[in-house]
Amino acid sequence: MYLKTLHLRHFRNYREQQVEFLAPKTILVGENAQGKSNLLEAVELLATLRSHRALRDRELVLDNAQAGQIAAQLERDSGTVDLAITLRSNSRRTVSLNGETLKRQLDFLGIMNAVQFSSLDLDLVRGSPSERRNWLDTLLTQLEPVYAYILQQYNTVLRQRNALLKQQRSPHETWRVAEAAHPPDSTQLAIWDAQLAAIGCRVIRRRARVIERLAPLAQHWHQAISGSRELLEVRYAPNVQLGEDDPLLVQQAFLEKLQMRAIAEQHQGTTLVGPHRDEVEFTINQTPARQYGSQGQQRTLVLALKLAELKLIEAIVGEPPLLLLDDVLAELDLNRQNKLLDTIQDRFQTLITTTHLGSFDAQWLKSSQILTVEAGQISM
Amino acid sequence: MPGVGPKTAQRLALHILKRPEADVQALAQALLEAKQQVGFCSICFHLSAEPVCEICRASNRDPHTICVVADSRDVIALERTREYEGKYHVLGGLISPMDGMGPDQLNITQLVRRVNKQDIKEVIMAISPSVEGETTTLYVGQLLKPFTKVTRIAFGLPMGGDLEYADEVTLARAMEGRRELE
Repeated sequence: MYLKTLHLRHFRNYREQQVEFLAPKTILVGENAQGKSNLLEAVELLATLRSHRALRDRELVLDNAQAGQIAAQLERDSGTVDLAITLRSNSRRTVSLNGETLKRQLDFLGIMNAVQFSSLDLDLVRGSPSERRNWLDTLLTQLEPVYAYILQQYNTVLRQRNALLKQQRSPHETWRVAEAAHPPDSTQLAIWDAQLAAIGCRVIRRRARVIERLAPLAQHWHQAISGSRELLEVRYAPNVQLGEDDPLLVQQAFLEKLQMRAIAEQHQGTTLVGPHRDEVEFTINQTPARQYGSQGQQRTLVLALKLAELKLIEAIVGEPPLLLLDDVLAELDLNRQNKLLDTIQDRFQTLITTTHLGSFDAQWLKSSQILTVEAGQISM
Repeated sequence: MPGVGPKTAQRLALHILKRPEADVQALAQALLEAKQQVGFCSICFHLSAEPVCEICRASNRDPHTICVVADSRDVIALERTREYEGKYHVLGGLISPMDGMGPDQLNITQLVRRVNKQDIKEVIMAISPSVEGETTTLYVGQLLKPFTKVTRIAFGLPMGGDLEYADEVTLARAMEGRRELE
């Protein structure tokens, strides 16, 4: 797929900006805080409806503006599509496809695919499990848009169940009083349990499935980049063990674990069992990657994961996704840079941000479109 | 007011100003009367100007079937179909611990008492398939099962809809709720 144009209006620090992409590779060069990453963020939103940098839409809208818009023209094998997202500082966002507003945002997902690689992604190895879950969820949303709906349902059940547990929790000193005010409603809790298990099971199975397909790709790329015999393993470690891939068995295991942790849950007033506590483990030669190795080795790992993502999306969607390299190329040494660039070639449309062009291969610069970003304005 | 933006509100206000005084008087009177007189039916909790609503009083409706809904709006929607001949029960919301809504805040006890006391052959759960709706359906279902048959309305493709254009969630749901050809 190929992003032909991008139009930003009142988005972040852009007032009104039209960008045409004329080459498979575009390099956005500029000082810090000029809007390079904002442009990539706009593309990320088009692909996933999520931003890894913003919690609220308000942050995405230009200061003092009511609404901002991202519009794009995307070429796919099946034809050209117009995508648009309208973000509002005070109400819900709307999305439209070929000029028609979509009733469900779910229908917007999966039309444009992109893999984002920024310096923040190094947290994938070092950071908390939630970083890895987020990464996995974003990938899954692109591959199976319905997953966004399942995940949202799971989070709703989780929040409701936590609220119920909190209500029923009785602090020690006022134990009797609290007990009288809110007698534990075991019928209601059992129903939330059943829903948590049923929807949680769908989350777990989809996560397991995508890791199973991603792991061998990551292993291959890791070996190719490091040029060694180090063996990278990507393993899904669900909170509820996935013995056999049978929805009923998984649900049963889920419910059993809930029962086991029931007292702890009542005491803490929060849900302790479920995919919101999943982990993805990276090991190199059977040693956990976070303990293992230098920053360089961790970078190799993340790069391998990103290349695996590219290939997996291409295999499943049937078209090469976009690659967004946010300030990350300069952090890779020449050998890794070349591996990355060799893989991309002209197959994957790539948007790259950088503060200076010095670290790029001359040959490479020649074939790229170079845009300068300054204070929310882009010039050739 | 819900569903009315500033522009529409202005249009409505100007429209009222242009009407003859008698019309405005009648409207104001109607609003006042509605506020003063409309309350809840003491049996089914549907909106009603009388202590017992029209549907509960109707003698030509099947008294052995109760359709359970979340809100009075749902009664109005179902009534438009003219397909349903039984009675209703309005819960007045859905179970949602986040909003402090538990079974005690809903008209559930009254429903159980109704089913318990009267000769009810079937209770139909007609509640939206959201996470909260599902919990409410299952909760009420469990309470009523010892007394009567509990069913739920089907979820699936809209009439006149095209299978090809249906989303995955709806299709999966429709597949789940499939039934044998008669």
